Amino acid sequence: MSDAPLVTVTIDGVAVQVPKGTLLVEAAKQIKQEIPVYCYHTKLGPAGLCRICLVEIEGMPKLQIACNTACTDGMVVHTQNDKVDTGRSMVVELFLVNHPLDCPICDKGGECDLQDYAMAYGRGASDSVDGKTSKPKGVDLGPTIVLDEERCVVCQRCVRFDDIIADESQLVLKDRGYKDMIATATGQPYHHNFTGNVTELCPVGALTSKAYRFKSRPWDLARTQTTCTQCPVGCQTFVDTRFGGVQRVMSVESDDAISDGWLCDRGRYNTGFYASRERVTQPLYKKDGAFVQIGWDDAFALWAKAVKAGESGAVGGGRLTNEEAYLLQHVFRAAGVANVDWRAGSQRVATPFGRNGSYTDLENAKLVLIVGETPAERAPVMDLRVKKAARKGARVVAISTAADAAAALQGATAVALIWDGVNGALANGVYDAVAIANPYVYIASEQPNARGAEAMGVLPEGSAKTFDAMLAGGVQSLSLFGVNPVLNHPDGVAVADALAKIPFVVVSDLFLTETAQLATLVLPAKGAFEKSGTTIDLVGDLLPVNQSLDAPEGTLSDFEMLIGLAQHLEVDLPTSESLERAVVEAAAKAGLSSLDSGRFAPDARDDMARKPTLLFAGGGTAAHDERIAALRPVEPSGPTGSDEEVAVEA
Amino acid sequence: MAAVVTPVLTAGIGEADLRDIAIYRGRGGYKQWERAVRELKPADIQAACDASGLRGRGGAGFPTGKKWSFLPNNGKPRYLVCNCDEAEPGTFKDHMLLEETPHLVLEGILLGAYAINSHHAFIYIRGEFKAGYAIFMAALDEARKAGLVGKDLFGTGYDLEVTVHRGAGAYICGEETGLLNSLEGKRGEPRLKPPFPAVEGLYGAPTVVNNVETLAYLVPILEKGPEWYAAVGTERSKGYKIVSISGHVNKPGNYEIALGTTVNELIQIAGGMREGRKLVAVQPGGGSSACIFEEHFDYPYDYENIAKAGSMLGSGAFLAFDETTDFVAAAHNMVRFFAHESCGQCTPCREGGHWLETVLRRFVEGRGLMSDLDMMRRVSSTITGLNLCALGDSIEPFLKSVLNRFPAQFEARVLKETSNV
Repeated sequence: MSDAPLVTVTIDGVAVQVPKGTLLVEAAKQIKQEIPVYCYHTKLGPAGLCRICLVEIEGMPKLQIACNTACTDGMVVHTQNDKVDTGRSMVVELFLVNHPLDCPICDKGGECDLQDYAMAYGRGASDSVDGKTSKPKGVDLGPTIVLDEERCVVCQRCVRFDDIIADESQLVLKDRGYKDMIATATGQPYHHNFTGNVTELCPVGALTSKAYRFKSRPWDLARTQTTCTQCPVGCQTFVDTRFGGVQRVMSVESDDAISDGWLCDRGRYNTGFYASRERVTQPLYKKDGAFVQIGWDDAFALWAKAVKAGESGAVGGGRLTNEEAYLLQHVFRAAGVANVDWRAGSQRVATPFGRNGSYTDLENAKLVLIVGETPAERAPVMDLRVKKAARKGARVVAISTAADAAAALQGATAVALIWDGVNGALANGVYDAVAIANPYVYIASEQPNARGAEAMGVLPEGSAKTFDAMLAGGVQSLSLFGVNPVLNHPDGVAVADALAKIPFVVVSDLFLTETAQLATLVLPAKGAFEKSGTTIDLVGDLLPVNQSLDAPEGTLSDFEMLIGLAQHLEVDLPTSESLERAVVEAAAKAGLSSLDSGRFAPDARDDMARKPTLLFAGGGTAAHDERIAALRPVEPSGPTGSDEEVAVEA
Repeated sequence: MAAVVTPVLTAGIGEADLRDIAIYRGRGGYKQWERAVRELKPADIQAACDASGLRGRGGAGFPTGKKWSFLPNNGKPRYLVCNCDEAEPGTFKDHMLLEETPHLVLEGILLGAYAINSHHAFIYIRGEFKAGYAIFMAALDEARKAGLVGKDLFGTGYDLEVTVHRGAGAYICGEETGLLNSLEGKRGEPRLKPPFPAVEGLYGAPTVVNNVETLAYLVPILEKGPEWYAAVGTERSKGYKIVSISGHVNKPGNYEIALGTTVNELIQIAGGMREGRKLVAVQPGGGSSACIFEEHFDYPYDYENIAKAGSMLGSGAFLAFDETTDFVAAAHNMVRFFAHESCGQCTPCREGGHWLETVLRRFVEGRGLMSDLDMMRRVSSTITGLNLCALGDSIEPFLKSVLNRFPAQFEARVLKETSNV
């Protein structure tokens, strides 16, 4: 479109230059003249259904819809006159004839386009004296969504989102005429990774989130913008809180460079764990095989003593902020502990060593190669970019051998490689085969800030031990930060056995996880919404994490824990200014990782059959969120049913 | 012009079994098809069509040759789709042609497809035309066996396949883009235009949708020459038209006439008004058209004059109403039809039609309000022109015309004020 010649249209007396073919509804935005829309959406295109975007175009006898009218040179448009108002007023009146007007109990009340346009264009009274049609209310559409048919304005944004963006085509319009209803085509529950977006697309209160239904009025919510840290994509979100709890998570804007305006259901709905009663809120020390509650001073003293007692190790960082990860390696190294590693699972690398591409580069790729984990599970919103690329004509190929790669690359240009960062692709020569095409590389990490942890230096250097080497023996104390390898490591049983042999194991986490249960000392941590800092997404953006919740009393952030430990170890701490500078500098160098860093020592476990990592609705925090439990995928059955799902920590 | 019927497409119906290919061919059938493929170029057929002045008989009356000329040469296949989803209230001409002279319908389709250089034609048959479907399938089968449809026709190398599709009974699938969606297996909802079907139609390819009667007229136009066709009719409404006459006449039925025959003559042709009653209104172009009245009964029945009378010729469904008509019930019936057939995509048609129907039902039950009369006028006229397709614009004309002509009938149904004392 940008190559199109410019044309001049006059909108309400103001001349605007836009590329030829620009839709009138978009051109009007340039002069800040809002044209009301229900069915039109920038990402979904025109549908011409609601008919509210009426404008008068000189030379045309009938009112035209701005959403499907392309600008042509010399076009003279009126968006505000009596004729236009009469048309829009009629459309609003028609919407309200059968609308239940249950605004006082509607979740959308206060941020509803029907309310807004009724105020702007409505007549204030209706000529309708007949009863309203009644339709089903509170329709359980699936695990996440409740539908109120009476409020629906049939804009079909949800249907089109499901078809065009999510590529699921589950939602359809059922029946005909005034009996139109939104339903799933099959009658099965509406269920995929992105269902929550329809509640934001819905211009009225027809599609509502089960999690937020009847919870709050929008004007009573406190809003915090932050980065979602449920996966490494880095979607910008609004966290809306009230009464000290998360009420809902919303997307930021429709042209957000990272999320493209969409959120996955995990990022949107997996927030119940913050208020879980199962949270650990006091340090726990294992005495005679049972945990006893102790104070933080005692916990720090015991911890520092263990770290100093002999060879130690510290593992984690991928679930921490950059500041915490930086401090982690700083404090332990300053105390003489060289064994630091963020890699508590099967992943070996988080920073691409090919070309570092943006999400736009991914969307514009002509060939998308997928190695290892499915991006839909590891990084759901990135998967929408893959679908977008496919819509634009890209080929999407899953490969597992060098021969696959060579075949897929025949004549390919603009290649993107999505990889899970596990050694296998290197060992099998797949990476080398793809590297010839100079691809943009995207590593969908198990841990959301794996790339940040790597950039902050939470990696063993020289003869220092990897996590696997630490488990192999010799380490007298091991500190684990926000990782749950007993659950997530490819060989969790071996991890559990190894941990049992280490004299002093410290685990910092929100819950008494499978790993924490084996610990000597459990430190109650704060979650991502309860602290501030920065994180690095999988394409290398340094992003803010802003606190939106107060943490339960008795918990500390890993940052605060590391400061406490440092004080007991009598280790110098960086000033906050120098820490900030160090983080920014480390983040800036994050793209400079190379294959020579010796990080890819063969991992014996790499060859074992790996179980699928169902990050999306798997374990971790999701296990402590009743609402999200409904989203868990059904256990696969059949001959391979004996394989248990292994979920990474969330 | 005399009140005469001129059988052209209807010639032979009721006299011979035109469903039999041998009989159809014995009367000159498929000769034009063979001549077209062997001797004529697509442009020749287009030229003949242009010269004949043939206009679309499905309702819009758009010049057929001009419609064909909009197809771009963009390297994509081109499709001809014959619209046999005849469902306009009062129209029953395509139904008859399909059942009585299926080979003529097929020959018209073949000629239309050839005219736009298409190798694949479709016919979309209304779901309720069960018998017609079976008859047409048999005719197509016979034609295929006779080498009239298929590959390398008449040894010229020209291929043409015909696919038959049955609808499922939705009026909206007669709207050309609703039809295309339905044909593609989607919901029968009209498409947003632009793009127009001529550019992006069936399966995204350039497509022409023509009515059964329109295509059938190509056969006699090629046989007798465009001059013969253009010789009758009025200045801009050339040729013949089948008119489906119904209502309070003695002999309702399909009558093929030269355009320009007057409204009064059409009543005569249909045997006059029943029991000597008086004609008070005519709905000249199907359920979507406004009524015309006494002052228009001497108007010639053609596109221009009926438009001048405030209505439209439409598909040629001619409903006669006598003085006993309950126009409140008639208006309710008509609006109910459109409300029921609305696909529900766009707001004015979906909500407006249903609202008006609800109010009219109250009138039928004698529970109208005086304020409803203004509301009906306001709503029906405001929604006209706001809709995605023409269905929503079809709600107003009949209602408005009878509401304005017979207000007393509506006022008589207004709820009488009763005293609570």
